[in-house]
Amino acid sequence: MAKASGGTGNYDYLVKLLLIGDSGVGKSCLLLRFSDDSFTTSFITTIGIDFKIRTIEQEGKRLKLQIWDTAGQERFRTITTAYYRGAMGILLVYDVTDEQSFNNIRNWMRQIQQHASDNVNKILIGNKCDMLDKKVIETARGQALADEFGIKFFETSAKNNINVEKAFTEIARDVMVRLREQEAKDGGKKGGDTLDLASGGKQGKKGCC
Amino acid sequence: MDGEYDAIVLGTGLKECIISGILSVDGKKVLHMDRNDYYGGESASINLNQLFQRFGAQPNPALGNSRDFNIDLAPKFIMANGKLVKMLIMTNVNRYLEFKQVDGSYVLKDGKINKVPATGTEAASTPLVGFFEKNRLRKFLVFVQDFDRNEPKTHQGHNLQRMTSQELFSKFGLEKGTVDFIGHALALYDNDGYLTRPAEEMVERCKLYGESLARYGKSPYLYPLYGLGELPQAFARLAAVYGGTYMLHKPIERIVYNSAGEACGVVSMNEEGKPAFAKCKFIVADPTYFPDQCRVTEKVVRCIAILSHPITPGSEPSAQIILPQNQIGRTHDVYVFCVSASHMVAAEGKYIAFVSTITNVASEELKDGLKILGKVDSFFFDVYDIKVPNKLGHEDKCYISKSYDASSHFEHTSDDVMDIYERIYGKPLDLSKTMVNLNPDE
Repeated sequence: MAKASGGTGNYDYLVKLLLIGDSGVGKSCLLLRFSDDSFTTSFITTIGIDFKIRTIEQEGKRLKLQIWDTAGQERFRTITTAYYRGAMGILLVYDVTDEQSFNNIRNWMRQIQQHASDNVNKILIGNKCDMLDKKVIETARGQALADEFGIKFFETSAKNNINVEKAFTEIARDVMVRLREQEAKDGGKKGGDTLDLASGGKQGKKGCC
Repeated sequence: MDGEYDAIVLGTGLKECIISGILSVDGKKVLHMDRNDYYGGESASINLNQLFQRFGAQPNPALGNSRDFNIDLAPKFIMANGKLVKMLIMTNVNRYLEFKQVDGSYVLKDGKINKVPATGTEAASTPLVGFFEKNRLRKFLVFVQDFDRNEPKTHQGHNLQRMTSQELFSKFGLEKGTVDFIGHALALYDNDGYLTRPAEEMVERCKLYGESLARYGKSPYLYPLYGLGELPQAFARLAAVYGGTYMLHKPIERIVYNSAGEACGVVSMNEEGKPAFAKCKFIVADPTYFPDQCRVTEKVVRCIAILSHPITPGSEPSAQIILPQNQIGRTHDVYVFCVSASHMVAAEGKYIAFVSTITNVASEELKDGLKILGKVDSFFFDVYDIKVPNKLGHEDKCYISKSYDASSHFEHTSDDVMDIYERIYGKPLDLSKTMVNLNPDE
């Protein structure tokens, strides 16, 4: 499903990514930094960000990243199970100045294991690394947790644009590599006969992507 | 949860979630709560363990991985050209979901299960209608197709607001068996009450069937991947994107009314177990939150079965079989639904079948439907009440929805949503209006 069929889209792979983590760790800021190269401190909780699209190039392939935000539903732990459907990569985000947000990563990991597909790629992100004087989660602790999960780890700053590009690119590439291997194994996609309601016509894959 | 809202919505069933989404898009501040720790209320889909738990049974691991199952509590299919599809498109919520066609549509006649014709070729060879009758049926269907309520010249001189369905069928000289087929397999009435009512509604329903079938081909029905429980969640996301606040696992202590008798807030327990008050201008809720203000209109009896084989002659991975009342000597039709791994609602090789009907006495009502299933791996019976609110909500500012009925599709569900909208806003919901534009990024 992820690979664009002949010429319908200007990309080789569609990669669906999710942001997960406690309220206030900077998920939306990371997203806006990566997609629009903007930063604002003016919003407190997420309103109005559904998902963002950015196309990047990796190893000669065009990856269309569709990156979904939690729509504020993480605040009271009411993220829908539907949010996890079809996710290929998940960015687990904590705030390096907030111990609780780091401890909660384990809870979010459990949610992912319960609701996302088994082979989804994951990456751990400690955001707000620019706030050195308030930092309470040492880099080594973040790294140790990532090692325990067997996933990659980055400390980022959406505000100062540190490692944001790198983190998104890294997980997108991991997803691409996995999709490529999968394709080689089962020789192409299966399923894919879902309908585009809005176009109303017969056949065709979902057109929004 | 403290604070001031325009609306507090109780229960996260599909109807409440659609209303919540529409209110939020309209700029209303919404607090949406559910006593359950999952979304969907009576319109949720549950996994295998939850199913066994619900019926107090021990899970059977031989059936497969629990989370591969998404079993609907209110099984229905979506008419491809129906009102729910229009609501999905106008709110752009369809982008959160993936749909596939339902593969087959069948109807019982003279003890045999026959495919409801989906193409001209199938119609020409169907055993459902006799040779000479086919021409009369064709004439009727052409009339239905051309019928436009606002174009008198398409009415062929019939006043369908007066003439009953029975009378219209007589004009076309249709036999009883054909009438059964039209009324129950095309217009999807679950009893013959419509025959003595004005024919216009029946004709509109036949039109909807035809237009829905024409849209994608195999059947007039759609069904979302991962089950119907995805629908309320998708509308909940819409509400959340537009600022709605969601709280699950939140039992309601009481509704607070002002001196005029209007609801003005809800008391619930906060995380520390202390009562917290949220203020609002009105409440939207499913009937379970206002048991005293609702009455029972009918009962639905249903069987949920897990099988290892498809149930239709064509072995489709998803299908509907309608057993019209006259074919089985009942006062209501029996509906059989089947879905499987092709819609990601069962483990590979497993099928979920639902058999349901309106009932007065629970026993034996489903036997004709159960016969079709053959050998089952596991099955559960359930009887539940259809409840409707006693009042419209204008006086106490509590707008209560109806229970999910036994119908095979979402048209009545959508009608109830539109009714609640109109009760709140005092004007009808315009389904042709685009409420949410495509993401500018797309």
